[in-house]
Amino acid sequence: MQDKIPRNFALLALCAALAAPALAAIVPPGVQLHPTQTLIRNNGSEPETLDPALAETVGANNITRDLFEGLTANDGDGKIVPGVAESWKQTNATTWVFKLRQNAKWSNGDPVTAQDCVYGIRRFLDPKTASKYATTYGVFLLNGKEVAMGKKPPADVGVKALDKFTVEIKTAFPVTFLPQLLSNNNLGPLHQASVEKFGKDWTKPGNMVGNGAFMLKDWVVNRSVVIEKNPHYWDKDHVQLTRVTYLGVEDGNADVKLFESGQNEMVYQLPPGTYEDAKKKFPKDVRNAPMLGLRYYTLQTQSPAMKDVRVRKALSMVIDRDILATKITADGQAPAYGLIVKGMEGADMTDYDWAKWPMDKKVAEAKKLLADAGVKPGTKYTFTYNTSEYHKKMAIFAQSEWKKKLGVDIELEAMEFKVLVKKRHDGTFEIARDGFIADYNDATNFLALVRCDSDQNLNFNCNRKAEELITQAEQNDDAGKRKGLLTQATKMIMEDYPLIPLVQYSLPRLVKSYVGGYSLQNAQDRFRSKDLYIIKH
Amino acid sequence: MWSYTLRRLLATIPTLLAVITACYFLVHAAPGGPFDSDKQVSAAVLANLQAKYHLDLPPWQQYLFYLNNVIHGDLGASFRYADWSVNDLVAAALPVSLSIGGLSMLISFFVGVAMGTAAALRQNSAADYGVMLVGNLGSVFPSFVIGPVLVLVFALWLHWLPAGGWDDFKPAFMIMPVALLTFINVATIARVMRGSLIEVMHSNFIRTARAKGLPTRIVVLRHALKPALLPVISVLSPLAISSITAALVTETVFSIPGLGKLIVNGAGNRDYTLVLGLVVLITVLAVTLNLIVDLAYAALDPKIRY
Repeated sequence: MQDKIPRNFALLALCAALAAPALAAIVPPGVQLHPTQTLIRNNGSEPETLDPALAETVGANNITRDLFEGLTANDGDGKIVPGVAESWKQTNATTWVFKLRQNAKWSNGDPVTAQDCVYGIRRFLDPKTASKYATTYGVFLLNGKEVAMGKKPPADVGVKALDKFTVEIKTAFPVTFLPQLLSNNNLGPLHQASVEKFGKDWTKPGNMVGNGAFMLKDWVVNRSVVIEKNPHYWDKDHVQLTRVTYLGVEDGNADVKLFESGQNEMVYQLPPGTYEDAKKKFPKDVRNAPMLGLRYYTLQTQSPAMKDVRVRKALSMVIDRDILATKITADGQAPAYGLIVKGMEGADMTDYDWAKWPMDKKVAEAKKLLADAGVKPGTKYTFTYNTSEYHKKMAIFAQSEWKKKLGVDIELEAMEFKVLVKKRHDGTFEIARDGFIADYNDATNFLALVRCDSDQNLNFNCNRKAEELITQAEQNDDAGKRKGLLTQATKMIMEDYPLIPLVQYSLPRLVKSYVGGYSLQNAQDRFRSKDLYIIKH
Repeated sequence: MWSYTLRRLLATIPTLLAVITACYFLVHAAPGGPFDSDKQVSAAVLANLQAKYHLDLPPWQQYLFYLNNVIHGDLGASFRYADWSVNDLVAAALPVSLSIGGLSMLISFFVGVAMGTAAALRQNSAADYGVMLVGNLGSVFPSFVIGPVLVLVFALWLHWLPAGGWDDFKPAFMIMPVALLTFINVATIARVMRGSLIEVMHSNFIRTARAKGLPTRIVVLRHALKPALLPVISVLSPLAISSITAALVTETVFSIPGLGKLIVNGAGNRDYTLVLGLVVLITVLAVTLNLIVDLAYAALDPKIRY
């Protein structure tokens, strides 16, 4: 590998340098802060763990994002900003060097060192830790996948401490979005001494040592997790909130009632069908922003019913996404006609050519496709979804669209979520409800859903030509060329119709109007409490 | 009596064993495993997870391993909540559920008996119809309808009580859930008490007592109440057990961190150890309640001898 500094390095270094002064909770001039800076926010569910290496759900990551800080982090708008690392540079296509802040401290006052970062990554990938995300993120690090699969020892992963405050990370191939990836706390530093001293109890209040803006005060399962401002945090002067209480309320209606009664200041997500009412009832509090997520239906391309691409294309063409978004889900989501959603980096959106056709033309074309494929009216397909009012509404709409416009019959099959995911993984379905929210903002994250040998490919389609393009893109350190290759590959795969894109996620919720710092630009819904503050009210 | 109690206690062992065994194999037979999630777990990680939770052992070894742990008071590690053992989770949730359920049963008993007695003594009067109406309403309206109505009225309109949540047994957080469970239970107790007392009041020994010129108050308190309570006592145990089922809804409506929420989450997540631990706990509670009811029966009716 030559030591050529890639063209995008200068830009990345500049971004890092510019972002460095970006501090938390920038309170706009003229805004008066409330004397009590406390916040109660619902998290949607009980966190499965507060161990950042094991955290997999949105709820757990929301809290660990406050308790821990990775080398990089997301600011209030979701942009990548320095975290524990105050700067970084890419020394060659697969080597990155991160300089840590010398004033970054653990909640017990110990300095955060490069060795803590090495320990955190090695522990995360160690098969003994059994993190479900080990291979997802490990694949990007040199030897990361091998370590996660137990084929190499954790010490072989491409991360090392060059000195007390310098970390070097080697990647398995050029990973242009590494700073983005490292904002996930799974890959963040850990305080080795406390983890080893307390064993599995290291995440309990009193035992946990973190390096985030907040520290764990109290945790009562299924009730709340209470965190308080960390006096040792490097940016403590810009952290406004002194205490945050995370509730674990799963029932959306109960969540809204708690909000209405003043016991909760941030609803996790409005229950289905309530968005329009909420806009009228709480005009100042309702917030809705698009997310890097896609609702779609997976087609089992190897099943006899879905083997013919003409059938898959016809089914996709006739679903009116505009009606679906505005009348059926009716919660501010945007129609989607491609795998890559708005705001995603690393590839351009590739909508289908027919997306803008009038519906009559789409239906005529779809009918022709079905006739050519030998599908007769009344042909029966099975649609599988997990029991939920939201998914049921969407399924009934799709069923009606396919029946009305194409004359095919759809048998709806509702089941528990666990049963659905097993069916999807086993491939024992024809059409299944599905959805995906980005783990990191790069097209490759979404492409994992359609790549040939990916664990996440549930449509069982494989486009080898597109795969070659993706491999080329992965080896390319020119951001522009990489983007072009990934865009082309995405378009190619989507022409196989392995899935039916429906709508891009948005997150409608209620946030008290006096909660400042809540941005509608945060497309990954990664809000750190350090960026929020309470306005005088 | 002591030997009866001892025999009953010993009889719980095969009952518990049968329940654990049946439940153990049922939960493992349910489709979808504890590690099935949207994100497909790679084979290597899955193997690590299975080894961590001993799922890589043959089923019979897993079963014996679990049984051995249970005998030693260890309900195992939760599959879903990685930072907690099932013992931790139960220890946190049980006091919450017991306080709500116990308080509700206590209030339901006294209020239900009083209402049933009043209705029985004023048969076919306005008071009787009123009691029966309340009783029927309690049976007809499901808790997921009454619960949100209570929240609407007392939390959102009147602002007297919190809309839900839990704060270290503070009464304000307990009033509505206890009231909801009481409303459901009291209806059953009042109806049983009414029927039972009417029957007793028509029996020969009551007729004799009246013939002796005793005032109604004395006849009821000294002679009729005790035998009339027997059917009420017998419904208390199933009622208490069904309160756990009702708590599933109550705890969801009021966001209470009790056993109900754990059961629902445990089943949905295929958290085998959590579900089994709760089944063991509920079985122990059921057996204990049945025993208490049987002992109370003996104390109330001298004719019953074991």
